Order: sequence, then structure tokens, then C-alpha cells
Amino acid sequence: MQDELAMLGNGAHALAIQILGNRDDAADAVHDAFARVLARPQAWDRKHGPLRPWFLRIVRNRCIDLLRRRRPAGGLVEELAATGPGPDAVLEALQRDRRLERALADLTPEQREIIVLRDYLDLAYAEIAAVLDVAPGTVMSRLHRARLALRKRMEQENDQ
Amino acid sequence: MINEHGGVTRAAHVGEQLSGYLDGELTQQQRQRVRLHLEECAECAHLLEELTALRARTGESDLSGLGADRWRENMNEPGVALSRGLGWLLLIGAGVMIGAIGVFKFLTDPGLGAGWKILVSAFYLGWLGLFISVLRQRLIERRSDPYKDVEI
Repeated sequence: MQDELAMLGNGAHALAIQILGNRDDAADAVHDAFARVLARPQAWDRKHGPLRPWFLRIVRNRCIDLLRRRRPAGGLVEELAATGPGPDAVLEALQRDRRLERALADLTPEQREIIVLRDYLDLAYAEIAAVLDVAPGTVMSRLHRARLALRKRMEQENDQ
Repeated sequence: MINEHGGVTRAAHVGEQLSGYLDGELTQQQRQRVRLHLEECAECAHLLEELTALRARTGESDLSGLGADRWRENMNEPGVALSRGLGWLLLIGAGVMIGAIGVFKFLTDPGLGAGWKILVSAFYLGWLGLFISVLRQRLIERRSDPYKDVEI
């Protein structure tokens, strides 16, 4: 189970970043989720579905707990703005990622998390519904609105 | 839906089903409807191209920025596991010893009569019985809940 969880670490971290807007808080949330799951691995029953959506839902809940306790000091945009671009040859892909991250940072948390769940983590709609605890029918409309918002924001990023 | 100018009105667009089409989440009938619409609507076809590119771009990005081994290393960090195990061992071991010494002192105390000893023992055994009963009930409940770790 540890190996399966380790494979989910980066994806869970990406989701947590989009919810919390802060990389360190996001890493804390993922570590917390790992600790909880590893303390009681029997809590997950393979019969009830794949590990990934179940674990992502735990990570999301840890993020919500963290948000309730403290608001992030600086948003992702500020954090990313502090990460200046490096030499072009190495960092073309990185700059592309930064533009995407800045565009994502301008969306609402709900829009960010559904885009990460579908387009980054490649979850099926039913799995996304399980992670977000929403009706499966609402996933498509929420995702479409989020994509349109991201597309608009990316156009602005590319114009800059 | 064709408007009076011969163009496709906004209401006729497939809307959110475009995302469902892109993700392969539509029924066969819905897919067919969207496909037919895309053949006639350049606006939606263009939007689909853009959303496809955006999805690919998001999928190829590295939004975490952390090495893939970080989480495995963290979970397998021997210092963490050792200190946690040692901590539990000391806590439980010391608790059991303190409890045993307390019970022994209490039972062998010549200053207390048998009546008091029975009364105090009954009081604490009563608490212990209630604790075990509640604990057992909780354990049974947790065993039947597949998502016990999932809290909102």
C-alpha cells in the first residue's frame, strides 16, 4: 500500500496546492493524509473502489481543515511571482507551467480543483464526484465552466 | 436551432456536453448529437480544439514540482518510524507499570479496610466496564464504515 500511496503523492500535492494556494501547506496536508492512512491502512477496502479517489478525498478534507484553521499568508500568484524565470534553454517548459499556474491561481478554488482532478490527474467523472462529494451529474457542467474560465485566463496570459 | 439570419443561435450549442465529448463521458446518443453539431458549427469545433489543447497542456505540466521519490522516502524514513514506535512503547509500558504498582499498593495497604477496598475497586471496575463497552461499540461501528477516514 505504501508504494501505491507514494505514486499518488505528487498528484495529491498538485491538488492540495490548488486548494490551499501554498506549496508548503499543501505538502503538510499530503503528509497528514499519508500519516492518517498509514496509521489505519485497514480503513481502505479495495471492494469499495480504487485507492486514488479515496485518498484524494482524504487529502482534500485535510486541506479544508487547514483552510478552516488558517488562511494562507500569500496566494499562489504571489508565491509564483517570487519564483523568477531562469535561463531560457532550460526553462521553456517551466515558464509554460508557470503561465498555467498563474492562470489557475486566478480561478476559484472549486474551478482549480476540478481541473486538476480531471485534466492533471485524469480521474473519471464518477471518481471526481466521489472526491468532491457531489452528484455525478454536476461534474460535467462544473468542469466545463472551469475550463472556459481557464481558457479565457490563458488567453490573457498569452497576450502579456 | 437556426436564427432568422440563418446562423446557429447560442442555445443550439452543445455547451457542457463539449467537455463530456472531449473526456469520453457521453452516451452514444449524446456523442452522436455533439459530433453532428461539430460538423456544422465552426465555433464549437474551434472551442473543442482549444479545450483539447488546454487539457493536454494541463496534463503535461508539473504542478507539484516535487520529486516523485519524495513521498516514498518520507514514508519509509527509518527515523520517523523508529521514534514513533519507541514513543508508543515507552508510553504504553510506563502506563502499564504505573497502573500495576498503583493497584498493588492499594490492595496491600494495611491502613484500608476490606470494605473500602471492595467499594473503590467496584467504582473503578464499573468505569472500566463502561469504557470497554463504549470502545467495543465504536470499533464495531468503524468496522462497518468503509469511508471512516473521510470527513468533511
